Amino acid sequence: MSNLLFYPPLIESAIARIEALIRDRFDSTLSPRSLALLLLQNDPETRSQLQGEPYFPEIEAIIRETQANFTESLSFAIAESRHNLALAIAQEVTVAPQHPKAVKYEWLHHLTVHPLTGIPLLLLILYFGIYQFVGVFGGGTLVDSIEGFFEAQINPQVDILVAAIIPWPILQDLFAHDYGIITLGLRYAIAIVLPIVTTFFLMFSCLEDSGYLPRLSLLVDRIFKTMGLSGRSIIPLILGLGCGTMATLVTRTLESKRERVIATLLLALTVPCSAQLGVILALLSQEPVALFVWTIVMLAIFVGIGFLAGKAIPGESTCFYMEIPPLRIPRPQAILTKTYVRLKWYFGEVLPLFILASVLIWIGKITGLFGILIKGLEPIVTALGLPKAAAPTFLYGFFRRDYGAAGMFDLHDSGILSSQQLVVAAVTLTLFMPCIAQLQFMFKERGIKTTIAIASFVILFAFSLGYGLNQLLTIMELSL
Amino acid sequence: MNCHDCPQSCRLKPHPQRRRFFGLLPGKSSKQSLAVAHKKVALVGPPNVGKSLIFNLLTKTYVTVSNYPGTTVEVAQGNANVAGEILTFCDTPGMYSLIPITEEERVARDLVLSQKVDLVIHVVDAKNLDRMLNLTLQLIEAKLPVLLVVNMMDEARQLGLRIDEHQLAYQLGIPVVLMSAVQKIGLRKLIAEVADRVQPPLLSTSY
Repeated sequence: MSNLLFYPPLIESAIARIEALIRDRFDSTLSPRSLALLLLQNDPETRSQLQGEPYFPEIEAIIRETQANFTESLSFAIAESRHNLALAIAQEVTVAPQHPKAVKYEWLHHLTVHPLTGIPLLLLILYFGIYQFVGVFGGGTLVDSIEGFFEAQINPQVDILVAAIIPWPILQDLFAHDYGIITLGLRYAIAIVLPIVTTFFLMFSCLEDSGYLPRLSLLVDRIFKTMGLSGRSIIPLILGLGCGTMATLVTRTLESKRERVIATLLLALTVPCSAQLGVILALLSQEPVALFVWTIVMLAIFVGIGFLAGKAIPGESTCFYMEIPPLRIPRPQAILTKTYVRLKWYFGEVLPLFILASVLIWIGKITGLFGILIKGLEPIVTALGLPKAAAPTFLYGFFRRDYGAAGMFDLHDSGILSSQQLVVAAVTLTLFMPCIAQLQFMFKERGIKTTIAIASFVILFAFSLGYGLNQLLTIMELSL
Repeated sequence: MNCHDCPQSCRLKPHPQRRRFFGLLPGKSSKQSLAVAHKKVALVGPPNVGKSLIFNLLTKTYVTVSNYPGTTVEVAQGNANVAGEILTFCDTPGMYSLIPITEEERVARDLVLSQKVDLVIHVVDAKNLDRMLNLTLQLIEAKLPVLLVVNMMDEARQLGLRIDEHQLAYQLGIPVVLMSAVQKIGLRKLIAEVADRVQPPLLSTSY
């Protein structure tokens, strides 16, 4: 087979010399020829594997010598030969029509990527897809009916049933009443989180399969460049609107370490996950001014922090290159399967944590630890201009963002939050630490030092911004 | 995360810790595979050419499939019975070349290079054959046992493109299968070719 692909003679002789050096002396799954080529292309991994070998200096000398004969880099010369052969083979085996047929949906592609039409299209998608479908329909209509059903039918029954089985009030609290596993944990998961997450995943799967996301990357590339990101990063960030934990993992697709750190920071600080977003949209949709203030503040923070992070974190911004797949009509079967699988995953993650949260709250209440923590949070919550009753919500919020958001839903239902307080609470909770799972992934993907730096910044920033926003809104006497 | 640390890694680990991810559901079979070392088949190729879809078809499991590059970020594995022999298939993140740029490409490369893989299925997009054969050539150079799958033939035909698979197989010296994974066209031929390649003692590293 080695007769197939020939490189320029000078490179071929270098390959032969390196091959002779490593043959039988270095064990690899790759052929010596392939290893030699990787070395000539300066592949860091292969280099580090061979670094310790006694003949490595000799290899380096061969590479230097060969490079001296070329004006372009060796990698370029090698890639060129390879590309020429690939092109020749492809041309020989492909029969293309003389007048290429137009690509399907070509006009739609232009609509999505041209700023003049692309931005209105994006706003339409956001309005109908996220606001109307996830916020109003999922977070409003669906949550209201399931939540109402829980409150009216299931919770009282559970309270009675538990009281009948377990005689001790302390143990009763574990399962029923205000903070019970069933009455709070399960209710949050099924009545509040499930409808929102389902609607979001349905919508998101459609976007994914249509091929819109890469086009969105093209559209936002210029704005993102100012933040030290490339258009590519829109995918993890939009994914973060679904689940920040998964999005943190997807930051792997970004090219430079710098981009990955900035995207992780933005995900932790500014991007609300679907459960949180749904609850916030549902709550604020009743008060348009509040929703407007929240949107503007979050957008400003996103761009502002992105810009500052781009300045503060050293490194070059990467060049944007992405394969643009064709637009396709999503297949319903594929969408449903995907949504189902994601929901299953999500609930596998969420349910145990929600139950654990209920148990922890229960233990905290018995031991009095919960009271101490809430007491500690109360001054902070009061400083934000919020009622003391909001303190537990922040405590849950640390545990899981969606749990905290669901707590806010309860708080608003009981009618103790004014519009201004609602905005401040919504902004602070959105900025506040993501859930434990996301934190865990940040440790895994970004390392301890970066994660601790990001986490402390996020907590500090969330509270100071909430404080500032409350002061500002008070001074402006905005009657929300 | 390093490839070998991830729960879906094809490397056999004494303590399989399953953590589930969005869409990365290891099939029921992945547990069994830890008991016996089955022959390994890796699906590699550029992003967004349908590796995950083919993986799902072969193993009858589900990993997330989307229409954008970078859906798969970790190695997923699943078993399938091919002609009486259980094979472990590995779905990998997309890669353009043996020299990785992004983290996910590194994951894919690690799988192919640092472990013994019995067959590499290189999946490419029929519409952009010229750009995608680069990696095929690199894999052949590395003397890895390669099978080329030219996927998305349905879309290529809509553009009026025709591909001569025999000529392609002859030029490259490796087996070639034309597929349209969405319509499950070419799947049987692929399975037959896989069976042919991994069947002992026919397995050879050069063709």
